[in-house]
Amino acid sequence: MSTAVKESRSDKVFLWCNYIYLTIALVIVLYPLLYIISASISDPKFVSSGEMWLLPKGITFEGYARVFENTNIWIGYKNTIIYTVLGTLVNLMVTLPAAYALSRSDFAGRGFFMAMFMVTMFFSGGLVPSYLLVKDLGMVNSIWALILPGAASIWNIIVCRTFFQSTIPKELQEAAHIDGCTNTRLFIRIVLPLSMPIIAVMALFYGVGHWNSYFSAMIYLNDSSKYPLQLFLRQILVLQEMAAQGGGAIDTSSATAMNSKAEIAALVKYAVIIVSTLPVIAIYPFLQRYFVQGVMIGSVKG
Amino acid sequence: MKKLRKASSIVLCLTLSAALLAACGSNEDGGSATSNVEGVKKEGFPIVDKPLTLKVMSQDAGVADWNTMPVLQEMEKLSGIKLEYQLSPIDSFETKKNLVFASGDLPDMFYAADLKPAEQVTYGTQGILIPLEKYIDEGYAPNIKKILDENPDVRKSFTTPDGHMYALPFIDTAAVWYRGPMWYNGEFLKALNVEEPKTTEELYTYLKRVKEEDPNGNGQQDEIPLTSVKLDDLRMYFFGFWGMYNEGIYADKDGKVHYPYQEEGYKGYLTFMNRLWKEDLLDHETFSQTGDQKKAKGESNKLALFNDYHPYFTLGGEPSTKHPLMTPVKSEIADSPVYGKHPGISARGTFAITSSNPSPEATMRWIDYMYSYDGATLFNQGPEGLLWKFKDKENLVKEWLPVPGGGDREEYRGKITPNYGILTPGINDPDIAKGLRTEFDEWLDQQNQEKLVPIGKSPFPNVYLTNEEQSEATALLSDLDTYVKQMEAKFVTGQEPLENWDKYIAQIKKMGSDRIVELYQGAYDRWNTGQ
Amino acid sequence: MQPEGKSALSQNLSVYTIPNRKKNKLWRRMIRNWELYLFIAPAFLYFLIFHYGPMYGIQIAFKNFIPTLGVTGSPWVGFDHFIRFFNSYYFWDLLWNTLSISLYELAIGFPLPIILALAFNEVKDSFFKRTVQTVTYAPHFISVVVMSGMIITFLSPSSGMIVNLVEALGFQAPQFLTDPAWFKTVYVLSGVWQSAGWGTIIYLAALSGVDPQLHEAAVVDGASRFKRILHINIPAIIPTITILLILNMGSILGVGFEKILLLQNPLNMGSSDVISTFVYRSGLVDAQYSFSTAVGLFNSVVNAILLITVNQIARRTSENSLW
Repeated sequence: MSTAVKESRSDKVFLWCNYIYLTIALVIVLYPLLYIISASISDPKFVSSGEMWLLPKGITFEGYARVFENTNIWIGYKNTIIYTVLGTLVNLMVTLPAAYALSRSDFAGRGFFMAMFMVTMFFSGGLVPSYLLVKDLGMVNSIWALILPGAASIWNIIVCRTFFQSTIPKELQEAAHIDGCTNTRLFIRIVLPLSMPIIAVMALFYGVGHWNSYFSAMIYLNDSSKYPLQLFLRQILVLQEMAAQGGGAIDTSSATAMNSKAEIAALVKYAVIIVSTLPVIAIYPFLQRYFVQGVMIGSVKG
Repeated sequence: MKKLRKASSIVLCLTLSAALLAACGSNEDGGSATSNVEGVKKEGFPIVDKPLTLKVMSQDAGVADWNTMPVLQEMEKLSGIKLEYQLSPIDSFETKKNLVFASGDLPDMFYAADLKPAEQVTYGTQGILIPLEKYIDEGYAPNIKKILDENPDVRKSFTTPDGHMYALPFIDTAAVWYRGPMWYNGEFLKALNVEEPKTTEELYTYLKRVKEEDPNGNGQQDEIPLTSVKLDDLRMYFFGFWGMYNEGIYADKDGKVHYPYQEEGYKGYLTFMNRLWKEDLLDHETFSQTGDQKKAKGESNKLALFNDYHPYFTLGGEPSTKHPLMTPVKSEIADSPVYGKHPGISARGTFAITSSNPSPEATMRWIDYMYSYDGATLFNQGPEGLLWKFKDKENLVKEWLPVPGGGDREEYRGKITPNYGILTPGINDPDIAKGLRTEFDEWLDQQNQEKLVPIGKSPFPNVYLTNEEQSEATALLSDLDTYVKQMEAKFVTGQEPLENWDKYIAQIKKMGSDRIVELYQGAYDRWNTGQ
Repeated sequence: MQPEGKSALSQNLSVYTIPNRKKNKLWRRMIRNWELYLFIAPAFLYFLIFHYGPMYGIQIAFKNFIPTLGVTGSPWVGFDHFIRFFNSYYFWDLLWNTLSISLYELAIGFPLPIILALAFNEVKDSFFKRTVQTVTYAPHFISVVVMSGMIITFLSPSSGMIVNLVEALGFQAPQFLTDPAWFKTVYVLSGVWQSAGWGTIIYLAALSGVDPQLHEAAVVDGASRFKRILHINIPAIIPTITILLILNMGSILGVGFEKILLLQNPLNMGSSDVISTFVYRSGLVDAQYSFSTAVGLFNSVVNAILLITVNQIARRTSENSLW
């Protein structure tokens, strides 16, 4: 990454425009995020009325207190971390080899496999048959129901394949073949190290998918000790919607309960977001070093 | 299918063997604790001689672990029946229930079952859910039987066209409200020295005065006379002012079924609301705001008339009697105002027994307990000595005890009983709250009795449509409801002039509004002449 | 290094093409590359079991599905569900809304991450770069419920800060939340705000495969930054762009319902009701698995046709396509 050459004037102008553009983007995105952080420690009354617009008003940590005193949250964190790590590993082990195979133009039958995979992007049997399948495989209420049915995403496989096709030079692979290198060694020793950026991306995409998922857990898990974080958070929030609907014979104490639940939910709403997404956002800076241009290319020459 | 046959044959075997054994068994009459030869007692506790475990599927508000709840532990001690729980969060219960039906992995019973009439018919006729009236009438549910005998409408409403009851309702004979009513901000009334309006004209005049005369006394014209969230919260209440009992299908006093959106009364409602909108007496944010924003306005003391369960939910503060319940006002429609009163039973089935249940008799006795004074008390308030105790046992007067560990009573209640946040089987007997009611509760009752009950009538009973009727109605209603809702907003805001009323009527008739009336009239007549 | 042209390749391929009958060549290729079949085996099995396995469930689009009767036991109703859907008073409106929202989203939301990624790439200051990147990709994680709540709060006619801003600048603030003409813009722009940062990730990964020596050579030749971006960086990510574009066209009728449902109200419904919200409402009246499957099938068929068409176009005009 040498920029020893002096920047010309037009380049300087360009660079400045770039910085300005990015700063504007930063501000536009930053403001609502600051809003959420402030809202998570403000009195909900000021938030709903619009009086709080940047700095917190009526500071209260009640929202966070309520989230954390709910012991389920910690169980949720633990479970989600396990599901995410395990799930992402499985994802990578299924996606990367498949994408690599598909990227090889001398792979006989690649059209067949592509077509077979792509059909599933459009046509699916629906919830009931999938559930029955998982049940018949004995995976209901187990961690595998959250990992195996989502073992690969055709979208990711395609993106991965495109990366392999445009970044791993054919000359390299041919040279390896001439040297007597098997496909497996080629893949593990040469292709993968060159593909750190895409591996990082896949890990991020799949990982975040696992972190945020709740639907599979909702359907397949019966034991609340296995629930992921998102499911517990939804339980806290859903009571707010319930209170808004009303209807049915409800006595005063229940109505009061629902009302206070709604108030708590309003309070907790923003804290919940921060609690559930901060860990993931914190990871990004560590992955970012893989996205630096040309970091891997030098090894091609070797 | 195979599982179904297997399940039915098990039931068949049990019934046969029971019949055989009954023939050989002793036949005592009189005597209190007569034991049926299957080991299930018709009276008293424990219910079974031999330990019995039942699988129950239910919704769960997620507040506490059901295995540790004092209420359920007490029930197990009493009845001798152990329970295995299959719980699901509230918002996924519907989906999970369908998956359970599809996979054939049935529990023994559904609690807080939320079974629509259509589901009762479908699964009942297939034998997945078993008929309950047999066990009720044979004496395994004395409390339920008593209620059904005293209230024949309840039995009528839960008996499907094939003559069986597949689910039990939640019964609350004292219920008045379908949803939260409308409330006046009492302070505004006082500030303007006004009595509650009795007619729509008086209402209009009052709202106009609120806008112009600064009743909250802060020198700013910031009052919002009437507010709402998308009109959903006040529609039913307001329909009553123009003689319509419900914001959906309803039957009038003569048993004739109406679809309100083509009635003359609806035109009156639209005209009035449009007038309020034009003069800025109806909050212009009605269609875009959230419940939270409405609440914020209430807490800043800007609202004169609004909807909620209790006025202090919106206005903030403690329960007080200074904000009167809105007396429904009379409009130009003859026979107004009316009020769509709660029928006293839940619309959906809250409990059902499946075909895989090994002992429907024991199960029936188990659930029957909740329809008694003792059971309702246990499941609603917890065991004696925890949250409450008897002040005067003879007259059944109770009083609250201090909440263990301090904190909110209602929150604590959620940890000790499953009946929290979900619609459960049982009854709400006014007796069980004797001594526990607050001044505010009494005042609420008095307001209801004075203002709503005299003009109240249940809008429409629980009827059962056949499958073809149901599909037709669903298809028609999904388009109709969308159109009606959009047009309502357009009429009220003036985007669509009221002169186009006839065009609107022509359109909804084309979309099948008369057919809807026809379908439901048929179902209503069937119900009326029914078992 | 970019594969220069195909000529060098075919020369080298001669190393292992055997000048015999085609069939023999094919067989030899398969044997030589036997490991690749192993590589693809997990994915193949996965799709076979978990996607093709349950696919028989699609039939319920033509049946009246009753859970306890199972898929095979439920009665046939032929095209009834489709007819009901097509005959709906709102069919064309729903189709139009769904399509226009998708295309609008594509038009604005597709180029932005690309431009942003290229911009990030030019920044040398690591701290600034990391900060901006992390901040822009954070909104992706905000749940749709909170997002909608924020939109309503910010655009509220009486107290919303965007409204206040517009009025402070001297303009009459439009009714963002209730005017049908504004719905799509609000929906799309908020969506772009939420997803643009996240969308840069894949392009950054692709850009990291560009050989910096190419840039050095270009600088020596006197090319400005702008020119370098145009001629080196962009061609490097064209394959990725093409593929993502094709994939996006293949989900055009798939506008999700949660966010729309939360922002929808009776006044903007003419513009905001899409296929998925309509089906969701119908599903509430009666757990209508069959109806929603039928509509889903319709969506899938249209999406598939679009995807194939766009892919063919891509194949004719460039080297990049899905197949």
